[in-house]
Amino acid sequence: MEENKSGFGGKVKGLLREIRSHWNTPAPGKYVPYKEYKDVIVSVGSNYAGSKTLEYIAFAASCYLMMYHYKLPYLTFSVINIINMPLGYVWTLIWWFVCDNLGFLPKKTERKLVITYVSMVVIGLSLIIFDITRFFDQSGWFVTYMNSLEGISCASAFKILGTHTFFNGYVGLRNIFWRKKLIPKFGRYKYCLYSDVVPKCIMVVLIGWLPFYNIPDVVTRVWVANLLFAVYNMFGFGEQMEAAAMNISPNVRERILVRSYPIKISHIFNSILAIILPVFIGMLRYKWADINMFRYVIPITFITFATLTIVFAGRVKERIPQPPLEKKVQINFWDGMFGVMGNKYKWINTVYQLLDSLGNGMLGITTILYLYTFRLSGLAYSLIVALISFAGTPPDLFAPYFLKRFKYKHLMIFFQLSRAIGNGIIVLAILFCGENLTLCGTLCVVVLFLMEVCKTVPVTAQHDMDVRINDYQMYLSGERLENFSGVFGWFTGPITSFVGLIIPLLLLKYGFNSNWDILFVDASRIKIIVIPMIIDIVGYVLMAIPFFFWDYTDDKQFKVIEVLRRREEVTRKQLEEEQNSAAAQETQETEEGAAPVPVSCTQEVTE
Amino acid sequence: MKKEKAKKNSEDFLAKEAKEEAAQAPAYTLDIPEDEIWTYQIEGLHAPRIGKPIKNMRQKKILVVVILLIAIGLAIFFSIRAVHTVPFKYAVLEDGSSELVRFSNPGDVTTLTIDRTEDDAKTPVTALHEFAFNCDEKLTEIRLGKNVVSVEPTSFYSCWALQTIRVDPDNPAYCDLDGVLYTKDLTRVVCYPIDHDKYLRNSRGYGDLKDAAGKPVEELWGPTEVYDEAFYEKYNADTRTYVLPPSVTVIGEMAFNYANLTDLYLPEGLREIETLGLFKCTSLEHIFTCTHPAGLEALADLSVIQKDAYPSLPEGLEIIGSDALTGNQALTYLFVPASVTKIGHHAFWDTCYKEDGEIKGVSEICIALEEEAFRAQTTLGDHWRPQISTGLFPKNIAVRYGAEREG
Repeated sequence: MEENKSGFGGKVKGLLREIRSHWNTPAPGKYVPYKEYKDVIVSVGSNYAGSKTLEYIAFAASCYLMMYHYKLPYLTFSVINIINMPLGYVWTLIWWFVCDNLGFLPKKTERKLVITYVSMVVIGLSLIIFDITRFFDQSGWFVTYMNSLEGISCASAFKILGTHTFFNGYVGLRNIFWRKKLIPKFGRYKYCLYSDVVPKCIMVVLIGWLPFYNIPDVVTRVWVANLLFAVYNMFGFGEQMEAAAMNISPNVRERILVRSYPIKISHIFNSILAIILPVFIGMLRYKWADINMFRYVIPITFITFATLTIVFAGRVKERIPQPPLEKKVQINFWDGMFGVMGNKYKWINTVYQLLDSLGNGMLGITTILYLYTFRLSGLAYSLIVALISFAGTPPDLFAPYFLKRFKYKHLMIFFQLSRAIGNGIIVLAILFCGENLTLCGTLCVVVLFLMEVCKTVPVTAQHDMDVRINDYQMYLSGERLENFSGVFGWFTGPITSFVGLIIPLLLLKYGFNSNWDILFVDASRIKIIVIPMIIDIVGYVLMAIPFFFWDYTDDKQFKVIEVLRRREEVTRKQLEEEQNSAAAQETQETEEGAAPVPVSCTQEVTE
Repeated sequence: MKKEKAKKNSEDFLAKEAKEEAAQAPAYTLDIPEDEIWTYQIEGLHAPRIGKPIKNMRQKKILVVVILLIAIGLAIFFSIRAVHTVPFKYAVLEDGSSELVRFSNPGDVTTLTIDRTEDDAKTPVTALHEFAFNCDEKLTEIRLGKNVVSVEPTSFYSCWALQTIRVDPDNPAYCDLDGVLYTKDLTRVVCYPIDHDKYLRNSRGYGDLKDAAGKPVEELWGPTEVYDEAFYEKYNADTRTYVLPPSVTVIGEMAFNYANLTDLYLPEGLREIETLGLFKCTSLEHIFTCTHPAGLEALADLSVIQKDAYPSLPEGLEIIGSDALTGNQALTYLFVPASVTKIGHHAFWDTCYKEDGEIKGVSEICIALEEEAFRAQTTLGDHWRPQISTGLFPKNIAVRYGAEREG
């Protein structure tokens, strides 16, 4: 007993000693000093909590603002997606190309892109301002058909198209400008926080205060809301800090450590928020339906976390072994396309995601259970949500152990099967003891808790698998090609769009539309929960299959990192030599009176 | 030995891991010459393809483009198919007649007659499917033909602009009383259209209301500078008060959902309020029970009705369905008579709220029976009592057993 005590005490002391001695300088073989762990906790935590807060604001049927105030028809969101879809493919191609070259393009290409984007902004604004349908035959089939779409008219459809064009043009311009300006300084993941945070804060405030939801005509309300949210979405506040922190070290074990401890601890910000926010919202007269939630609660929370994020973000470094920007591999369009298609592991991911699309269009089942079946609000709601989300914390602390002991593929297969079994039990509970709210509720909460416990380690593994796939892509192509990977979504598009619309149409059949009160009707609610869940269960079972083909071992990953590290080492050396010789040449030419010849990085890249 | 063990124990897992890694490190140290950094192949993985020409590039490009075009085309096609709606969707019933499954408003259809199918005009429409008009925002009047003999309670769900439902006098199953849908025998009220008060405003001379600046206003929410208390009372009596006929025994499922009423007179013969029967009538301040046995013609004379009315739910009421009165926060008094044998789950949910530290709405439920007798006689659903948010855990509101009905 005594020995155990001293053993434990000794371990704690040893840990503290280790942390103290490597507070400012990393331990041998590692890259991250423990001081940076503290910065990861605050910056990732604030960024995560801030982005989670923003989940309350979305141009989607599931958003409370849409649900209670804008009241847009459910199918209208799908119609808008279709209007934007064809051109969206074109903009996406350009976007991939720019992003995977980190914004550093050959001069000529850049000029062409800027002209394209500026034209898009002008055309988009023109379509929004002017009604071009006056040139159409008002009784013709086209106008008649467009007018028949739910929540849309022919005139508003062109405004929606204009919004899409304007949005993509403006965002494209910003993308080139800010990437070039900020990536050299802040790295590839977190740079956009710096460019977007201020306008995002302003838009979060405006979303709550602009009373466009009072527009009586639903068609006008739809296009105005679409425009408002397009402007809101121009500025991002995603989980960039988490992406940066996951690439904090080339040492794979260190990455797992950072993922399991500082990143996990940082999520406590959101856990606390998940308790406090519903309590504040519960105090409002109309609770989730109260507009003051969007006027005060969300903006104040978001701005607080956004500020904290920005203050601490600069102290967290990305440490991807990569050549300096001047020596980076230039990716042309087809290099990108064929590059990602040659990555076997991306195909495995694609099949997995394709099967996951069986659940597309599903509503937040747990939210429906809590709010409509068990009618939770205030602290009771917060505590249940917190309890479930906390369930993942203890296993996460042991994630490094599990990840070392078990193969990734086994963890992922276990994950899918556990989800299928868990959802199966919930379905049975709702069907056979749905009348008894206490018993059904307890069963559901226990199963959700256990599912969360089982989920944590595989999710950590999955995050690491994604980073590893990108490392492997960098080994294959010289760049991570995270954006070109989107082409897989195009291949699977027909299937996902077909399958993904099954659930919304089923929901519509059971009465789910813009008015969520239908969930108070027991018969409808049970169908709305159970039928999509059964489809999801089938999806989970099938999703286990692709992981039988995962053979990317630790050994391969270590070697890939070694190759990347060597490339960085050699290219840096080459750059230094070139810079030295250029400087020498410059000195010589100045002495001789000739003008210096600047070498831009894009010229270098082109060569 | 002990010292060594203690030292080993005192090493934290970070230090241990660092050691392990240091031991493994040589196994992964690759000796890559400088000129091979872009081509070096790791065993078991593909070779890097940086700067390498791709074999049959042209054919591969064409193949990828073709596949992508087909994929994109199919994606767009499926998406359009999914949202493409035809105005009328029917299902054929066993007897060869049709059921209207879904009506999607093609634009500005405000009045719709349901009698025969639109395509051939021969097949009679005999039924309305559930959610047939779900969330329509344009329809103001629906006319049911003589063949429509089956209407689901949710058929007119969330028809926000619906003012009246008219029924062909020859219809054997249904009838309407000034735009409110009943079964033919007037024992069940099926649907009080959500915007029925607008119809009443226009038909009873309140169509040109104005504010102090002379601008038109659609409806009144209280006395104003222009309209005094007496006017407002009359306005409410004319447009936001409804008296159910004495023959009604059942308020159908969702019959009065979102109705803009301040006063509702229930008949004493009422036996059941079905699920969501009086759901979210947020302006409903008073429920009265009317004992006046007069015929339909007397319904218009409110002064006669009021003489023989008592507050809250009628004696003789047996069943209160789940969520029957949910969301009626303007209601202040609720009396459960001794005849009630079943109260569904959340029957009175959200009928109270807290404002300035005070409980508003239904702050107490009065029950005629003593607690023991009430519990023995009545089947109670979960959370049948409303709860009040205390900031921490919600609290059930008080119940007064053995209460006497207020005068």
